[in-house]
Amino acid sequence: MSALPLSGIRVLDLTQVYAGPTCTRILCDLGAEVIKLEGLKRTDITRLLVIADNDSHDDFWNRMGYFLYRNAGKKSLTLDFSEPDAVELLKRLIPHADVVAESFTPRVMAQHGLDYESLCKIRPDLIMISLSGYGQNGPWRDYTAYGMGLEPACGISSLTGYRGGEPLRTGIAFTDPYSGIAGAGAVLTALHYRRRTGKGQYIDLSEQEAAIPIGGYALMDYALNGREPERIGNRSLWFAPQGCYPCRGEDNWLVLTVRDDAEWQAFCGAVGQPKWAGDERFADVLGRHRHHDELDELIASWTREQGHIDAMHLLQAEGVTAAAVLNPKEVLLDPHLRERGYFEMVEHAGGVRPVPKQLGARFAAFDTNVRGTAPKLGEHNREVLQGMLGLSDDELNELQEAKVIGETPELAVPLQMMQMMVQWPLTSLLQMGALGGLEPDFKKQLGLEQTAGE
Amino acid sequence: MSDLALDDLRVIDLSQGIAGPYCAKLLADCGAEVIKVEPPQGDYARTLGPFPDDVPHHDKGGLFIHLNGNKKSVTLDIEAESGRTVLRKLLAKADALVESYAPGHLASLGLGYDDLKEEFPDLVYCSITPFGQTGPYSGYRGNSLTCMALSGLMYVTGDPDKEPLCTGGEPAEYFAGLNAFVGVLAAVEHRASNGGGQQIDVSMLEALGAADEYNTTLYSFMGAIRKRFYSRQLFAYPADIFPCKDGHIVVVPGATGFPLGMAVLMEQMELEQNPLFINLWMRSIQWQKFEEILRPYLLEHDWRDLLTRAQELRMPFGPVMSPGLLLEDEHMKERGFFQEVEQPEVGRTRVAGVPFRMSETPLRQGVAPILGEHTHDALLELGYDAEEARILRERGVT
Repeated sequence: MSALPLSGIRVLDLTQVYAGPTCTRILCDLGAEVIKLEGLKRTDITRLLVIADNDSHDDFWNRMGYFLYRNAGKKSLTLDFSEPDAVELLKRLIPHADVVAESFTPRVMAQHGLDYESLCKIRPDLIMISLSGYGQNGPWRDYTAYGMGLEPACGISSLTGYRGGEPLRTGIAFTDPYSGIAGAGAVLTALHYRRRTGKGQYIDLSEQEAAIPIGGYALMDYALNGREPERIGNRSLWFAPQGCYPCRGEDNWLVLTVRDDAEWQAFCGAVGQPKWAGDERFADVLGRHRHHDELDELIASWTREQGHIDAMHLLQAEGVTAAAVLNPKEVLLDPHLRERGYFEMVEHAGGVRPVPKQLGARFAAFDTNVRGTAPKLGEHNREVLQGMLGLSDDELNELQEAKVIGETPELAVPLQMMQMMVQWPLTSLLQMGALGGLEPDFKKQLGLEQTAGE
Repeated sequence: MSDLALDDLRVIDLSQGIAGPYCAKLLADCGAEVIKVEPPQGDYARTLGPFPDDVPHHDKGGLFIHLNGNKKSVTLDIEAESGRTVLRKLLAKADALVESYAPGHLASLGLGYDDLKEEFPDLVYCSITPFGQTGPYSGYRGNSLTCMALSGLMYVTGDPDKEPLCTGGEPAEYFAGLNAFVGVLAAVEHRASNGGGQQIDVSMLEALGAADEYNTTLYSFMGAIRKRFYSRQLFAYPADIFPCKDGHIVVVPGATGFPLGMAVLMEQMELEQNPLFINLWMRSIQWQKFEEILRPYLLEHDWRDLLTRAQELRMPFGPVMSPGLLLEDEHMKERGFFQEVEQPEVGRTRVAGVPFRMSETPLRQGVAPILGEHTHDALLELGYDAEEARILRERGVT
């Protein structure tokens, strides 16, 4: 294994929450040194989400699962932009940075004199990326955005929903990581250009725009035919049957797609129904499309008797495109992902926990393993400010006393109240049906206790 | 020096469908010369439509046009020895290969990475498959739906009393394409500093799985198994889509929207004192009570009005856009996201733009090639003469 492709590249990461941190975690996994900046009054809000063991004693902001996933391997520097001193310190860091990443609404950076034009004067070959909800210009440029609002804004929710039903969101904010990956690609493109020409540049990434192409077929149908899409549930635009079918046990499901006549024959053989295979109504794709409702009934009559994971293996062995709908715990325990080392065990202030790989690409010549744990708030203040800027102990103490830097958040809500808010009412969430299970022995099930004890 | 960022790169796009072609399209948009090597009957995406007036034609498929802008099309039957010879000549001048065959297929034709690495030591060889090149499911068949299922994303999407729901628009394919784009660039960067090409293994499942926001984390940190519940975020309710007077609106009050911002928006200041507006967890758990207050208000207002007023109050509400709304939208128009192109055989049409803007090296917008448009020229460039090109064509190799 050789050196990582971005070793020697330094990124100042002013991004927060999800899209930006995904972008910079990929750069970090590829070898860049990523210094994450947070204000003490404005810590990354993911420092308040999903706390280890739902236990918020002491420095709870350093034990958050959501933060760990997106920020593993980075360094943490606290600098509060509401303090002019902090802005000056940031400007002094710019000569040491190859890349600046930020995810504020467009007006914020300019307000602090930190727009690209100004930073470029300090470091002419700087690469800067802004990840914003709606881009740097246009009537919606100042709109604030969370991922939950952006999937519908990019058109995907209008394609998602039960047949004849309302538009629905995916159960996660997936345009955020999508934009983050696109952003990493943009930075790599800019680095490639800089290597050849010595020139930096500015990247404007609108998270709304980035994910619009996912709806390519429907966009083109409107562009070519002026037609708006219908929501078709789990069915396919091209293949029949396709759907999600109930299996044995509680809330277990199987998806399958029959892509052609041969796959239909294979399916009938696999489930032991030669009668279906010989039924003229189902012989070709148009027939299967026309009789999709009846087919759904027939298929469900078979799947109801099967375990969802067993049925996947049985059908795949016969060449049928099928998969079990895994719940989050089953994903963590999935043998395929385990064999591929998809989850890495990371020692963290909240204990040893599995962290999924961020980049969906594996390289033969180097590993993109997570490069370390997530940093505690302000953990690298001294290293960065003394190592890079040469600040003295006295200067550091002054900054600490002025609360420009620090290790404890200075949030609007008192810490004690926050301590209560970050604990989730798991039992109530289970009772209302938002959780499918609550397992106190989860660490044993995941093999974490053993790992921790080694 | 051209102002295209990647114009020193040449890529052979041997992939079909969505993921691989989208990766290669992004490289082409950024300036790489991308030669799409298609079987003589064409990439199967050419058959998927949508076609103008629903009349199928291999040069008019909307999805194909969407995914193959700025590429050249060379038809080549790589099942034939002479086709493979042409491919090797193309690879000799290429920096990267993108392919999406089932694991082992190209190796069975003598075109696996191990077969090529000695001849082309600097080649970046990017393979995109549903489940990756290794592991127990590597030989399984997959698509966006199976990846949604196995990633856990489908389990948390949809209504609690209904079956899990697949997200529209083939997201796993595009996630994989984007990861492959990053992968190729990272490998090119690595080659520049360390020398040598390599194989990249992109798994659609892992590419999509990395979008799992917090569901596996919720189990590995708290032992809680999240289940679909109207697709809402557990920590940010409502943050979901609601019907309004003329369509839908995403109600996302954000970290600071409750209680004041929402009370102002809804023009009922007494709501600021309502415990359902003050306490997140009370609101989440007694959500029916909360929605009895929220829904009637929304039904009396248009989505543009709600969106504008909420944004004025710094609450990140979002619009629910359809393809038509997007293509006709003022914001999109001012940003120039959709661009009109003169697509051969189709005429003027609009295509979606690039996912990011670069100040020094603007990404280019281009048309998709007609099937085999560049075969003849490419053969001549490789040193074949017109007579040989004719024989290859008439023998069905190109």
